[in-house]
Amino acid sequence: MASYYDIDDILTEEELVPVVFHKAANGVIIDPSSETNSVEQGAKVELPLWLAQELHWRQAVSISAPPCFNQKTRLEIQADAACVDLRSRCPYFYEFGCKILPLVGDKTIEILLLSAFKIRYKETLTKAYTAAYTATSKVLTLLTREETNLYEAAQSSMAAFKKWRMGGPRLQRASVLGRKRKPVN
Amino acid sequence: MHGRKAYQLVKEFASGEKGQLKPFNRELFGRVLEECNEHHGALQSLIRKMQEEGLDVQTARNADHYGALIHHLSLTRNKRCLMAYMYNRAEIIRVLAWKVGLLHELPEEIQEKLSDSEEEYFKDHAKTLKSYMSQMGLDVNVDMVPPKDPYIKVRVLEDVGGGIILSDKSANFARHSMHFLKRTDAEQYIARGLMEELTS
Repeated sequence: MASYYDIDDILTEEELVPVVFHKAANGVIIDPSSETNSVEQGAKVELPLWLAQELHWRQAVSISAPPCFNQKTRLEIQADAACVDLRSRCPYFYEFGCKILPLVGDKTIEILLLSAFKIRYKETLTKAYTAAYTATSKVLTLLTREETNLYEAAQSSMAAFKKWRMGGPRLQRASVLGRKRKPVN
Repeated sequence: MHGRKAYQLVKEFASGEKGQLKPFNRELFGRVLEECNEHHGALQSLIRKMQEEGLDVQTARNADHYGALIHHLSLTRNKRCLMAYMYNRAEIIRVLAWKVGLLHELPEEIQEKLSDSEEEYFKDHAKTLKSYMSQMGLDVNVDMVPPKDPYIKVRVLEDVGGGIILSDKSANFARHSMHFLKRTDAEQYIARGLMEELTS
């Protein structure tokens, strides 16, 4: 269970999922197609995950699989997982998948996530260790948040190793102050 | 959409560089609070409506109940976003207090980014740390790795003036001058970016 204050967890739960209302609800502006301030029974709406899952537990809505786990994405991942642009589909692909899994009860998502992560994990690490600094920007745009963290961790471990081997100053300017230096007058 | 503004607030925090502060977004923060009040108002009016209809608020499951539920969930969601925003900023501010704030004021460009309560938090935290260290008679903020040599060579990067207190000598710290200092004396100035360590 992620921490209450976890920024990434909060952002994951903002991803939209398609739901169908089983119960009507008054006084809320959620359904854009509705003319009154209410949701009809049977209305199809997209809700953020935090709202959808709570309503699902109270049997007020049913959730279907969100578009980033549709057939097209699955086929692309099966073809070559490492080249799929997961970030534009959902920057929290894996975390979102893990959260959505018990809600839609689709076991194939589990397999999809695992196989995608295994292949992409290897690719990401290989690229982080070998790619030249300038060639990285294109690779980075395809990665999800989790993979970006992984990539940066790999690069910083590489940098730390180099520093340890070559030596260098131990004491440095505190990183909280930011990279900017004041202009020299 | 419910909780959209709170999401923007958290998103803004997340989009910054890791461990760096962005200016405190008073405007958006205030708007999320307004939204909370709106949700609260709507929640209460729905509950009142149910009571007027003679329903048991605890057990009734009609459309008003689900409307109220959605408002309630939006409220707790907004709360979580606001709390996370404050909490994560406070964490960075604590790091600041450890790194730079023990003996000095914050640099102006960082101080501008703090809200009033955050500034107070920073000052109090630095004060508590200082009083703890003076009681223990121990500087807990120095480098954890034991040095090979107690003295290091440093170059002054900015005019520091006479504000430098050294334990064993005094010198003129003009910009670009080089000195051979006790490591413990130099550490805090290096952390603040006023000096840099030279390695041979």
